[in-house]
Amino acid sequence: MAKTQFTELQTIRVRVNGHEYEREVPVRRLLADFIRHDLGLTATHLGCEHGVCGACTIIMDGESVRSCLLFAVQADGAELQTLEGLADGDEMHPLQQAFWDNHALQCGFCTSGFLMSAVDLLNKNPQPSEEEIRHGLSGNLCRCTGYANIIKAVQAVAEQSQS
Amino acid sequence: MSREGTGKMLGAQVRRVEDPRVLLGKTQYVDDLILPDMLAVAFVRSPYAHAKITNIDVQAALAKPGVACVLTGQDVLERIKPLRVEFDTQKVPFHKSCNWHVLTPDKVRFVGDMVAAVVATDRYTAEDAADLVEVDYEPLEAVADMESALLADAPLVHEEWGDNVMERLEAQVGEVGQAFQEADCVVSERFVTGRHMASPMETRGCVAQFDVVTEVLTVWSSTQVPHTLRASLATLLDLAEHRIRVISPDVGGGFGLKAHPFPEEVVATYLAKTLRKPVKWIEDRREHLSASLQAKHQIVNAELALKSDGTVLGLKARFLSDAGGYSSYPWGSSFEPKHAAGTITGPYKIPAFGFETCTVATNKASIGVYRGVGIPVAALTMERLLDMGAQKLGLDPAEIRLRNMIPQDEHPYMTLLGVEIESGSHQASLQKALNILGYDDFRAEQQKARENGRHLGVGIGSYVEGTAHNSAVFDSFGVKIGGYEAATLRIDESGKVTVFVGTHSHGQGHHTVYAQLIADTLGVALEDVAVVQGDTQATPRGWGTWASRSAVTGGGAVTSAAQKLRDKMLRIAARLTEVPADDLELAQGAVQRKTGGVRLLSIPELAHRIIAQPTGLPPDEEPGLDASVAYEPPPITHSNATHVAAVEVDIETGQVQLLRYIVVEDCGTIINPTIVNGQIQGGVAQGIGSALYEHALYDDAGQFLTGTFMDYLIPTAADVPQVEIGHIETPSPYTLNGIKGMGEGGAIAPPAAIANAVADALSPFGVRVNEVPLTPERVLGMLDRAQTNAGAE
Repeated sequence: MAKTQFTELQTIRVRVNGHEYEREVPVRRLLADFIRHDLGLTATHLGCEHGVCGACTIIMDGESVRSCLLFAVQADGAELQTLEGLADGDEMHPLQQAFWDNHALQCGFCTSGFLMSAVDLLNKNPQPSEEEIRHGLSGNLCRCTGYANIIKAVQAVAEQSQS
Repeated sequence: MSREGTGKMLGAQVRRVEDPRVLLGKTQYVDDLILPDMLAVAFVRSPYAHAKITNIDVQAALAKPGVACVLTGQDVLERIKPLRVEFDTQKVPFHKSCNWHVLTPDKVRFVGDMVAAVVATDRYTAEDAADLVEVDYEPLEAVADMESALLADAPLVHEEWGDNVMERLEAQVGEVGQAFQEADCVVSERFVTGRHMASPMETRGCVAQFDVVTEVLTVWSSTQVPHTLRASLATLLDLAEHRIRVISPDVGGGFGLKAHPFPEEVVATYLAKTLRKPVKWIEDRREHLSASLQAKHQIVNAELALKSDGTVLGLKARFLSDAGGYSSYPWGSSFEPKHAAGTITGPYKIPAFGFETCTVATNKASIGVYRGVGIPVAALTMERLLDMGAQKLGLDPAEIRLRNMIPQDEHPYMTLLGVEIESGSHQASLQKALNILGYDDFRAEQQKARENGRHLGVGIGSYVEGTAHNSAVFDSFGVKIGGYEAATLRIDESGKVTVFVGTHSHGQGHHTVYAQLIADTLGVALEDVAVVQGDTQATPRGWGTWASRSAVTGGGAVTSAAQKLRDKMLRIAARLTEVPADDLELAQGAVQRKTGGVRLLSIPELAHRIIAQPTGLPPDEEPGLDASVAYEPPPITHSNATHVAAVEVDIETGQVQLLRYIVVEDCGTIINPTIVNGQIQGGVAQGIGSALYEHALYDDAGQFLTGTFMDYLIPTAADVPQVEIGHIETPSPYTLNGIKGMGEGGAIAPPAAIANAVADALSPFGVRVNEVPLTPERVLGMLDRAQTNAGAE
């Protein structure tokens, strides 16, 4: 096949944080670049662009995915959630609040990915053990915090939902 | 915690004021910036460790639609000066400088060295076009090992040097020979540390824009040192510094790496000026791992002379450091071993010390500063030697340390290298850490586990962390860096405070701690203080954030500026209220009488008087409420700490499991315990990486082997335990509020404590634990060698 194939344009429709978007994208455009640069939703970050660090984690059709490992065209017809869609206006989601209360962030670059992974974790397992939290978040790298306060924050939300 | 400033914010467990915007996704990191007509630059990098460039053909790249320009080293040789580290030769006589051309014109010196820059409409096109640049190389023999680099027939990284030695330094203090003659026991070992990387989650990057109307170049960079970057850009591009504005927006971690100006930023800025269009460069992770800066890679041959009671008589150490291809600006790649030598005596009284530092160039990415610079290697060496000495003399590892540590009442203590350690709590921090562990209980558990075939071990790592070096200390290092810090504080007529600082927070929580210091001094609420940083056009010339300097230096500048305005406000309030200034204070958002706490005038009312209605002021007072201060700290401010690691080693797999990790830290007066504990936990995580996982690997030909996060392993949530933290507060007698720096400390001792714990766990096998990272493969190798040696005896 001809090489130009990768820059061919294709129209996609996605629903992101409740808003419908229809855009024409080159077929090789990464979903992460589409979200960040085409839609201007820059809270999703790119730390490695090879699927290890988890900074670009978003929720796609109810599952956490790494938006650097998907092409935008693969999200055609999908429902996406990014950090921008987590809070209710300026009213923080319980996980955001718990991250603040527990000093679970320092530079903040990885935070978006951790929050989205934690959303997915608690959706699937609302009462995780510490080990399950550690395992569930081990696909996200943080270079600042040493993870302890992130784990505490997730535990705090799990405890709230229990009571 | 009351809303109003109560004079009790110092030490308060305050949530960070900077967090909500991060959590709500309202940050702006450099790649979030999109400007109209912005172009992207991608770099062509060498696939060879060492090669001559014989030809570069850019035609195919230029012909690609969307490509704006291609630059090679020859194109910019006369237009962009090379980065070149020059020391004051009086102070550093044995250093050879080298040119680090932003695009190498003739020869590549490491895998990732930059050969050409390709500018296009977007990053995808620029990277495609970079692949179309045809570079002809004539491969040269590479030198990828620091000891081989010293051999007479080694390939030369910089031919003009005549050998590969970048810098050599030798000194003897005290009677070293005599110490070793009189010793009852001498232990020696060869230690090798990994080639570690800061590897912040945000890679490097910048956007440069030239404004044709104002002729100002604006550079947004993910940097820890905006003013230093501005000065470097002006020098290297031969531009007027005041026509450059550097903005460091939100920065996703730095850890020292981003305290260096980089060739890529210089090229992007040059392109923006030349093309008259904004240019963005965002580094990918492979570039970051292979071509940013690496750190901490040393071989240390050391010997310790001891009396039979464990008293240290003398220390000899030879630090060999692998600088890579160039010397990183501004400290130089030789700083790593020098700082190791300068800090190795740590918390111990050592009467004689002989050392040599030798920095060699090799065909690898260059060495830069990374959290702890040299001290982790020094602590590993010293702490392992003490354990080896203790084992040989039949002493407990804790006991040998307690006997040699500087007693609290001997402070200020002058080390034999002439550094004054002003205060500290070395023995107390060690004792407290052992108490938290339950040292005796652990020993009993260890004994029992051994009987059941399990191998537990405990290891200690104690250190002193020199922080916030002042200008005189940098001058003595021969580098032209200021150690002071500057702040401009403004109170507006509504009584709100804005402080403009020269430091740069990229995770450290400066907005919160500076607001705490100001709230205490001016009696205002935390939320009434705004902190402005990272913009050379707005903030006073400062030196950025690195070397655990900001709490002491930035905090000192901010506090001094607030004190200056407080005094002025009280003098004027005294005139207006006819109460003596001595009996007035700023508290709870108002001018109050100290006696009885009667509120006389709110701060907004007073500020409005001084700024907008400045009549009736004392005759020698200027209107307005602005103060600018430069604060020069004491020479070096020392924190101290002891780390204790408890591990289990699986002798079948070589896996080291951390059972517990304890830190007792003394950083003087604590401004915010939440932030201090966060820095400790995060530092320890990086130190665990250094101790167990992280190593930037090259093969013998200098080919880079760890270009992804699947190869360069940084610890995950599954690898880092909750650190058990204890505090002792021994204030500095010299700094404002007695504050000491502590940002790097957490990362310093994990290699020492964990290596000691592994050695302790494996002591029945007689293994030599002398290398980090202690990967499973290495641990198994150490066990194998011990077995082979035992068999041979």
